[in-house]
Amino acid sequence: MSAALFGLGLVLMSLGIVFLFVAALGLWRLPDLLSRLHVLTKADTAGLALVALGAACVSGSLAALLPLLLCVVLVAISGATIGHLVARSVTRRETAP
Amino acid sequence: MIAFDIVLTLGLLACAAMALTLRDRTASIAAFVVAGLLIALSWVRLAAPDVALAEAAIGAGVTGALFLRSARRIGPITGGPVGGMSASIAAALGAGGLSAALFWAFAGTSGPVPYPPLVAANLEASGVTNPVTAVLLNFRAWDTLLEIAVLAVALALVVMLGPAPVVPRALGELVLPFARIVVPLAILVAGHLLWQGATAPGGAFQAGAVLAGGMLALVLAGIGPAGERIVRGALLLGLAGLAVFVGAALAAEGLTGRFLGYPAGAEKAWIIAIEASLTLSIAATLCLLFTGPVRRPHQ
Repeated sequence: MSAALFGLGLVLMSLGIVFLFVAALGLWRLPDLLSRLHVLTKADTAGLALVALGAACVSGSLAALLPLLLCVVLVAISGATIGHLVARSVTRRETAP
Repeated sequence: MIAFDIVLTLGLLACAAMALTLRDRTASIAAFVVAGLLIALSWVRLAAPDVALAEAAIGAGVTGALFLRSARRIGPITGGPVGGMSASIAAALGAGGLSAALFWAFAGTSGPVPYPPLVAANLEASGVTNPVTAVLLNFRAWDTLLEIAVLAVALALVVMLGPAPVVPRALGELVLPFARIVVPLAILVAGHLLWQGATAPGGAFQAGAVLAGGMLALVLAGIGPAGERIVRGALLLGLAGLAVFVGAALAAEGLTGRFLGYPAGAEKAWIIAIEASLTLSIAATLCLLFTGPVRRPHQ
């Protein structure tokens, strides 16, 4: 049981690292700010959530799950809010006379 | 882990170089903040989680916010780099010499360091089980008292100089729900860090910085109380930490005859009480350093 949980944790973490890698690649290769924001906010949040879930599986304790969950929620809402603010300031600047 | 450490060090050096050389203030502050987070990670690797928490919250977070505020007031960088080649070489020589001297000093020390065993032997008497808190609030409480005095002086200077207060531009409708989630969480986390400081990494400085972050989220969302009386109250709160600490020191002197020597058996209550007032005071001070005090009408 614990070995299966450990394996599941490793799989989830690897998947999360793939997501984070794609986010970094997108940040590097995509042409403009809005598409970069698009890849950053989504792939980053998903990657972090998967890594945290994997870490919780590897640790195998509910007590470790709670703070990890809190981290994921905080990063998700702050990432979404900051992405929104950056995009907003850019569109403001572009539409300003 | 050695590969991780090497990557961490290289990233740290790259961020520091970017923070120093980038010609755009926002970008160089971003590099500074990332460098601060990497430094926090380095402290974790050095098994110093207390310092890591303080570095992440104050070194990277609050200082980054203060830098951004100042950058906005100063405006963009004009003119070329200062000093040029000779200044860079001089700085590199100075930094290299300092590193070599530090390395020589550390490599030259032999045998066990006397301080940690001394703290471990006397930990029972301190009233707390976290050795860092035992040093900061009991064995070397005098140093911490002076640090709080430095913060109070900084706050007094800001009030005397009377910088124009920050009037945050409305940040849109998404910031309000963000603040609604983050501010209560910041208060909870600050309380947790404060209480946890007695037994595990945490304490007044970390809790105060987290609380200040929550306050700033409130201010930047445009829903922070901004009246003059509120700011006066925050000012008093900021200076109250030093007053409470000095009062506790004198009271302890009166009770036990030793300066900052807490009564036996009640050390933890004294430490937590002092730390609680310090948390509020540090949070109010950091927040006021960012927003600036209200300018008086006759100025």
